[in-house]
Amino acid sequence: MAVGAFIAATAKATSTRENRRSAGNSMFTSIVAGLAAGGAYALIGVCLVFTYRLVSIVNFTGAAIGATGTFAMAILYEDGVPLFAAVAAGLAAGGLTAALFGAVMMRWFADAPAQTKAAVTVALLVGMIALGLRLTGGQHPRPFPDLIPGAAFSLAGVVITKAALVTITLALAITVFGTQFLNRTRTGLKLRAMAERPMTAELSGIPARSLSIGVWAAAGIATTLALMIIAPQRAPNFLTFSMLVVPAFAAALIGSFRSFWLTLAGGISLGLLEGLAASLTWLQQFRSAVPFAIILAVLLWSQRKARWDEAR
Amino acid sequence: MRKHILSLGALALLGTGVMLAAPASAAGPTCTDGKIVVGAVSTVTGPADFSEVPKAAKATFDQLNASGGINGCMIDYTIADDKADPAVAAQSARDLVENKGAVVMTGSASLLECAVNAGYYDKQGILSVHGLGVDPVCFNAPSISPVNVGPYTLTTAVLQYASTKLGAKKLCGIFWIVGGTDEAYKGAVARWEKLSGQAFGMVDLTLPFQGDYTPYVLKARDEGCDAVVMNTVEPQIVQMINTADAQNISGIKWLFLAPGYTVQVAKTLAATKQEIYVGTEWEPYTDAGSKANEGWNSAMTAAGMPLTAFTQGGYESASILIDVLKSIDGPVTRESVTAALHALPPVNNPLVGTPYTFGEAKSHASSQGTKMVKLEAGAWKVETPDWFILPAE
Repeated sequence: MAVGAFIAATAKATSTRENRRSAGNSMFTSIVAGLAAGGAYALIGVCLVFTYRLVSIVNFTGAAIGATGTFAMAILYEDGVPLFAAVAAGLAAGGLTAALFGAVMMRWFADAPAQTKAAVTVALLVGMIALGLRLTGGQHPRPFPDLIPGAAFSLAGVVITKAALVTITLALAITVFGTQFLNRTRTGLKLRAMAERPMTAELSGIPARSLSIGVWAAAGIATTLALMIIAPQRAPNFLTFSMLVVPAFAAALIGSFRSFWLTLAGGISLGLLEGLAASLTWLQQFRSAVPFAIILAVLLWSQRKARWDEAR
Repeated sequence: MRKHILSLGALALLGTGVMLAAPASAAGPTCTDGKIVVGAVSTVTGPADFSEVPKAAKATFDQLNASGGINGCMIDYTIADDKADPAVAAQSARDLVENKGAVVMTGSASLLECAVNAGYYDKQGILSVHGLGVDPVCFNAPSISPVNVGPYTLTTAVLQYASTKLGAKKLCGIFWIVGGTDEAYKGAVARWEKLSGQAFGMVDLTLPFQGDYTPYVLKARDEGCDAVVMNTVEPQIVQMINTADAQNISGIKWLFLAPGYTVQVAKTLAATKQEIYVGTEWEPYTDAGSKANEGWNSAMTAAGMPLTAFTQGGYESASILIDVLKSIDGPVTRESVTAALHALPPVNNPLVGTPYTFGEAKSHASSQGTKMVKLEAGAWKVETPDWFILPAE
């Protein structure tokens, strides 16, 4: 009887509500609620595309590198280091970790096929998560300072935080910068050449190694900054930060790992879609599978013209 | 003839004397090789680390051994790490029971040990005085009786507290479902409905482990919930409360289960505007003045162990087992320990609200009491000096 009442309450929960808003309005609320997450996905996504376009590595450690810098910042801040210095040190830690990984990739895997490079970053990710969880206190949370505190405005009953706005702005800035840098500057041209033909580029006098490590470091610093901004709104745990790479990947795939603009749009839409999924009862329980569904759909779409023999 | 009768009488007396002496000479437990083998299967490495529970049990046994053991028998305690892997959990239990010859399991704390090994223990005739039951099987097996309240009973208790003591009218639940725990949480909510005679407000069983929680916070607000119970662990609790603060939520009481009761959560959420309660499984360990904690506190301090809820579970399970072992007359074997636990009268322990029982019941959830703590200025304050105990059904 009680179980029956409980099930009935569950079923009724979505249809009857006090202060009931119209169904359409509530759906809009849910979509807007996903904006902050979308900004984060887009920002990490464009950093992934940046790394891929310039050093042709699908980098699974992207978010974990950001997590390293962010945790370094939080630990220093907890120990009494002033916020500004802690942030600078955290960005440096993220940049250095990324540069170290870049050096490893250039030293030992420069000529390896793309699959091997991606597999190496997966191995690095697994190692980083294990080590990161141990070093940062595992499940025990630590306080993350709000770098950009406060609300910007309300929309459809959802408070849009300043942090969410800054995240989206930053993603937009990297998108514009990335596009311009690759298409309009000499260094960008060199880097593109290096990514596509590393050997030829090196023979023609382009300092491949230092440029690559520079790209890694720059992407590492950008991702660290992204995670520092969104950290207070996320589960403060090394694993959950590192796994932000999954939705970011879905975003980067939407841009085919080429287009910054499509990645930006893809990341934000993914967040909005997740928000929407939370309001639809039938879809709700599959909400966390949304990025995977998108990854699968994009992969299938991208292979639509391939014949079986070629695609295999 | 008379002499004969006298000698018979003397023999009879002697016989009686021998009979009287016999139990006296065998009184108390005995053991072969001077040791009693006890095992624990716990998640040490993997997604969670529960090792503090069996380590506290080990510290308790070590202190007993240092003072001469039980009748000269030393407790030989082995902690096996199941790595949260069912195959490893099964293998570890078989190694402890069949190769090492464990007579009883004590202080185990694992994400999945009960589900994997409860049937095996039953077949082998070995029992587990569990240190921290997590999966629903821990509270539904004849071979296992945990010393903790467990997330399901605690969900009911926290709901009951919110409705009877906090005056919550519309209770809601947002649950993070791992494996097949949804039925157990639904059962916990149904039990509260039965106890209170009220209908539950809103339930959401889809909270992801990671992802943005803004839609969930807004859903609780828009549904008009005035109390929300959640079963998440530390990082997700912090995330949920920070999200509620960012959305300027007010008027919702947030109730969490025992994993939220840590010093780190209190410190991290020191600046929150939200009203936060947690149901504990043992006497609140942060309560420095608590008399109930004295025995545990001095044992753990002497062993250099941290003062946490986990070490309370390990200490309580080890203490219960030590008393059970001391009560055995004759050889301590798997059979004699199992028989002693089956015949165990309810054991009062100052760390819990209701007596610990084992017996031959098909399921065990003897701990039915909680003490509620409230977050105030970065520290936990005890709201219920007396145990808040769920009424028997």
